[in-house]
Amino acid sequence: MTPLPFTLADWSALEPIAVVGVTGLVVLVVDLLSRSHSQRYVSIGIGAIGGILAGVLAAHQFGHDHNAFFGGFMTGGFTSVFEEIVLLALIGSLILYGAIGPAERIAGTTSLMLWSTCGAMLMAGAANLMTIFLGLELLSLALYCLCGLVDRKTARESALKYLILSSTASGFMLYGMALLFGATGSVMLADFVSPALAGSALFWMGAGMFLIGLSFKLSLVPFHMWAPDVYEGAPLPVTAFMSVATKAATLAVFARFIYAALPSGVAEKLLLPIWIIAGISMIAGNAGMLAQRDLKRLLAYSGIAQVGYILTALAGGTPLGLRYAIFYLTAYTFMNLGAFAVAAALSDDGEQGSRLTNYEGLARRRPWLAAAMTFFLLALAGLPPTAGFLGKILILSSSVSAGYVWMAGLLIAGTAISLYAYAKVIFAMYGRGRHDARDAKPFVPLAWASVAICAVAVIALTFYPLTPSNILPLVK
Amino acid sequence: MLVLASILLPIAGAALLSALPRDDRNVSRAIGTLVAAATFFMVLFAGNQEWSFRWLSRPFVAAFHFGATPVSFWLSLMLALCTVCAIAATKLPRTRGFTAHMLMLEGSMLGLFLTRDLLTFALFWDLMLIPVFFVLVGWSDRPATAWRYLIYNFSAGLLLLLATAAFGIIYGSTDVIGRSDVHLLGSWAPWIFAGFTVAFLVKTPVWPLHTWMPPTYADLPAPMVAVVGAVQSKAGLYGFIAIALAFMPDYLRQYSGLLIALGAISLVYGAAVALVQQDAKRIVAYSSLSHLGLILIAIAVGNTLALQGAMVYIVAHGLFSAALFMLVGYVEEREGTRSLVRLGGLGKTNPRLAGAFCIACLAALGLPGLAGFVGELIILIGVYQAGYVWPAIVTLVSIVLASAYFLRLYQGIMNGPEVEDLPVRHDLTWVEGLAVAPLLAGLVLVGVQPHAILTAFAGIVK
Repeated sequence: MTPLPFTLADWSALEPIAVVGVTGLVVLVVDLLSRSHSQRYVSIGIGAIGGILAGVLAAHQFGHDHNAFFGGFMTGGFTSVFEEIVLLALIGSLILYGAIGPAERIAGTTSLMLWSTCGAMLMAGAANLMTIFLGLELLSLALYCLCGLVDRKTARESALKYLILSSTASGFMLYGMALLFGATGSVMLADFVSPALAGSALFWMGAGMFLIGLSFKLSLVPFHMWAPDVYEGAPLPVTAFMSVATKAATLAVFARFIYAALPSGVAEKLLLPIWIIAGISMIAGNAGMLAQRDLKRLLAYSGIAQVGYILTALAGGTPLGLRYAIFYLTAYTFMNLGAFAVAAALSDDGEQGSRLTNYEGLARRRPWLAAAMTFFLLALAGLPPTAGFLGKILILSSSVSAGYVWMAGLLIAGTAISLYAYAKVIFAMYGRGRHDARDAKPFVPLAWASVAICAVAVIALTFYPLTPSNILPLVK
Repeated sequence: MLVLASILLPIAGAALLSALPRDDRNVSRAIGTLVAAATFFMVLFAGNQEWSFRWLSRPFVAAFHFGATPVSFWLSLMLALCTVCAIAATKLPRTRGFTAHMLMLEGSMLGLFLTRDLLTFALFWDLMLIPVFFVLVGWSDRPATAWRYLIYNFSAGLLLLLATAAFGIIYGSTDVIGRSDVHLLGSWAPWIFAGFTVAFLVKTPVWPLHTWMPPTYADLPAPMVAVVGAVQSKAGLYGFIAIALAFMPDYLRQYSGLLIALGAISLVYGAAVALVQQDAKRIVAYSSLSHLGLILIAIAVGNTLALQGAMVYIVAHGLFSAALFMLVGYVEEREGTRSLVRLGGLGKTNPRLAGAFCIACLAALGLPGLAGFVGELIILIGVYQAGYVWPAIVTLVSIVLASAYFLRLYQGIMNGPEVEDLPVRHDLTWVEGLAVAPLLAGLVLVGVQPHAILTAFAGIVK
């Protein structure tokens, strides 16, 4: 048997991912061996420690560009940043699961979440088509199970819907990949930049289908129909995880593809439809929020629009735009997790926290939770003093300077619509509601802690705009 | 440092109030008044100190840079004064929360006036909407008003944000307010000017973008409308002076015809509606629309005299409209109504209230010796001197109309036979009297000694 041709450096590139994956196994083994009553916190604790460890390892890789496995996986600033965002989502959702998740099956859920994170992290660093697909499927397969893990009809429906629609997207993507391979004879993103490809119809078709697949995953209008239903049905912590991790991982792939894998002259024409549907998403996503009666659905529609904002930053194809997109994604992670954490603090197994009727008169029952929710919603709408405000101005300036003024205009219009929808929730909390919901839930320390951490992060990001430099090059 | 502290102190005060364990009216009001008074003196003594902290260096330079310019100094001082008076007289339910909102409003508006950076300006522009929105949600009965206020003003704020981003990209820095060497030119400049202008016109407000204003003023509780109507309405005018006039004077001159026309329509329309309204608060609101139109005309005309007049009138209008809103609030508190049809004859039983109300009305209609007259007169001369004869005539007619509706307001409430079924209440208490006294004193002071304010423009007009 010939030895594998990989060096130690190649393997060490996967260290953070390996840590997360192995932690998933440890959680299962510990669950097998122990019969203690505090099982819930043991699993969550091990998972969170694994996540933090992986975060430290990923941080160490920042700035060390290495092309592992012959270009299959690329470490460096870009990869590290996206890995950290995904890990943030993991830790945040694990804490929420610890706070409100059902006690049974906790180990299995934790493991699945960890493995799903592995997939997302793999996508963050994937620099060839096969790694991209591997990461995507690992992420999605675990999520299908996670969606269906509670005994509710809506959860099962959510899982099935997600499975079918996501598979369709994967099919598009795989077909696109096959065509790309046919056109270029390579699976490496780095090989796609050859100028000869600009005239190849096969390449255009392949790239187009690949992008459609990505748009499905990013839930851009008109490929967004799955998102609200799936978000609504899935357990709350899973929704929180899904809303951030899937977007971050897919955006990583998308950014790497459009920044590093398109021959010159192709990008502008090929990507124009993407920018158009991103613009439509900003309007339609925000308009869609207006009719919602469920917080998870509301945040699903909000997510559709937020992806549109992030794509607006990427539209110019400038390095600065990429940095601002990452900034906004980071801010979005905290704002979104914060909103979910408030919902979790109001919930128990039945997830009352996701119904908007439950927020009526909240300001009187739980003034601090109402204030926190208001803060996160205003941040999502982009009001100061939050990272959402700074993110918007950075995105606006990058798109204006790149000449995509029409996208900036749509962003403004979408934001104006969104405020109406967010303010509706705020109004329910502070207005003199006729209907007074039942007594407040007992104090849920874990959920409150994550609310506080997210709020501090959202404010801190406003005054210290962390936009990572040296994230380029994206391929070698 | 003092200037930064003057912005942070009210915000810290609001946080302190929110953390109070019990909602005690007197304690909340005392803390609020003390914080606001301390803020007033900090603004006064901060003078032209500056404080700066770099915020962004890419894609353009932006900083948390605070420091009063001569124009913003007077606005901040007026804001601080109005806030002290308004908080001191608060008698609303849930005083703790309301006072906290008042202080948040003061902090965010001080930030708006004192900042030297356009991006920070845009930040505070949005921030100052939030406390007003919450007061409309929590202290008034009509949700639609809160919506309308928020959507109108936030949309304007977004335009401002977009214009600011474009400004930053083109000029490379937004740390420019108060500098005289910045001129924006090029193919983008008209659009940037348009973005700023529309935002300022909505905020002021000016016809036809004013429709959020009458219900907002009518539904806000008296202490807050005294600050919003008197000072927040100046945010747009301050923007015209500090941003549009300073960095894009050519475009302001080019579109001055349009602005003068809008100002004149607001002037006449506001006066006409104020003449027929029965709701006392709405009369004051529409009179504001009219007076702000006058100031807009002065700024659009843009010669030294008109601008000096505008500055004095900005301060004068702030003082007398705050006083009027507070006094109408007192009347409503006592009699449970503010309809001129139901009210009447209060002067006999409430001489102190009637006296204060009389001074405020006389200042508003432009009696010589009080602040309103100085501003109106200088604006009139300036407009006429610049060769705008028709606007000068329209202005003059409106000033006459102002006398009519303010006298109607005063007579409707204070004169005439006593209305039988109105509850007879006591006259102004000491606290209430002390709360409006500084505003009335300010009106006299500015009326006889406007020089300090007149010179505020020395640096801007070239």
